[in-house]
Amino acid sequence: MTQTSVSAKVSGEAYGAPAPKSGENTWLWLLKIVTGPLLVIFLAVHFIVNHYIGETGLLTYKDVVAYYQNPLIPIMEIGFLASVVTHSLLGLRGIILDLKPSRNFLKILDWVFLIAGILIVVYGTWLALTIASRGA
Amino acid sequence: MSEKWNITLKVSRQKEGETPHFDEYKMEVDPDEYVLDAVERVWAFMDRTVCFRHACHHSTCGACGMRVNNVEKLTCITSIRDMCQDGGTLKVEPLRNFPVISDLAVDMGSLYNRLEAVGARSVLPVPEAEIEKPASTWDPADQQYIRLADCIECGLCISACPSAATSSGYLGPAVLAGAQANGLKRNPELLQLVDAEDGVWRCHSAFECSAVCPSLVDPARRIMNLRTQVFTERFSRLFHKA
Amino acid sequence: MEKPSPDKFWTWFNPVGRETGGWAFILNRVTALGLTFYLYLHLVILSQLATGPQAYDQFVALMRNPISISAEVLVVAAGIMHGLNGIRIVLTTFGFGVTRQKQLFYGLMALALVIILFFTVRMFTA
Repeated sequence: MTQTSVSAKVSGEAYGAPAPKSGENTWLWLLKIVTGPLLVIFLAVHFIVNHYIGETGLLTYKDVVAYYQNPLIPIMEIGFLASVVTHSLLGLRGIILDLKPSRNFLKILDWVFLIAGILIVVYGTWLALTIASRGA
Repeated sequence: MSEKWNITLKVSRQKEGETPHFDEYKMEVDPDEYVLDAVERVWAFMDRTVCFRHACHHSTCGACGMRVNNVEKLTCITSIRDMCQDGGTLKVEPLRNFPVISDLAVDMGSLYNRLEAVGARSVLPVPEAEIEKPASTWDPADQQYIRLADCIECGLCISACPSAATSSGYLGPAVLAGAQANGLKRNPELLQLVDAEDGVWRCHSAFECSAVCPSLVDPARRIMNLRTQVFTERFSRLFHKA
Repeated sequence: MEKPSPDKFWTWFNPVGRETGGWAFILNRVTALGLTFYLYLHLVILSQLATGPQAYDQFVALMRNPISISAEVLVVAAGIMHGLNGIRIVLTTFGFGVTRQKQLFYGLMALALVIILFFTVRMFTA
């Protein structure tokens, strides 16, 4: 049994028609499932820090800037942002994929998500570095 | 003498393409009778136009799957006592995620085609029928004995699956379970089919398939195992060109 | 080729006839959508930090009322439930505890409840 005939049988298409390119694969799934546990750790740190640093947690501008003076913090926060953006966009993509979008729509969506994801991480990096530089 | 209950059987009625409505039938039953017995009684004594599928009456053929009080059941082995009380109502509907042909009968063609496409075997060597048993541990002596596969192709898992509800292209639990039993090692051509949006990745771990399976196939566990097979295969292909 | 099916969007959230695993799936999707919305809202709001101390501190002061804090508790709760349920998904995906997924779910959700209560008390009293 050839690959095309298997896919054709399943989709009910005529035998010999090329199988449509899959919108999901091992690597995308792996990216989602690896960022997941990472986020649990990042989020735990984020929650604890936000609520337990000092008396009341990070509630003022001054506290935030002081917190960002440790160089590990901006690095961690940028890693957190990259993971969470990847995880959320892939998750959203998965939900949309369940609704059987057309291949053209999916292609556009992939580009939009990729560019938006990069822009958000760039913005976050700029913000983190800006805050870190304010204390100096 | 046997116990007697008075129940109302609410049967979903619809011909192809129509919006469904319920017809109610009041009847006296023994609570230890099965749901299918009650449906057959409607057909035998009350309404000859009720359409439903049934054959073996002992959970082997997989024809009588229906939704009983919203839950997928093989009606020939589901006792009335387990589903309602004396004076209660038994609601019977066709399986979800299949086109309804008439009343309780659905078109299971897509399931059968897909099972065939992944080469799901209905008879297989004894060691290969077990879940997650690697080939290296098979006793060659046992390989000569064959048995029927657990799956009776009743379609309850497809009906219960929320992913199948949103995407009719999803291969579905029974089919992926059939592919798992076949194994990617022996059938590399299956990889393209299951490592896809309509394959193992459409499963969102709701585990509804395993909850309703009347035949201990445990499709969810088999899907998870198939995922591991897909990972392993994709990783090994990174280093060794297929 | 199959037709797109956005009209089936709501079938995910139908809890009728579902049991543990199905509810976990619904919970995961609802919290996922909520958290995604919050994430991007959060990122937009944090741009206040760049504009300087006054804008940020004013905003934080504005948010210190019971309604806003309740909304924040909701976000924290969603994050904890989604995260802990996610651990269950990862474990079962790799074949661990598949036959114990229900117990795993209830155990993790009990843990989630404890953590959520802890943060709720903390957030309203801090």
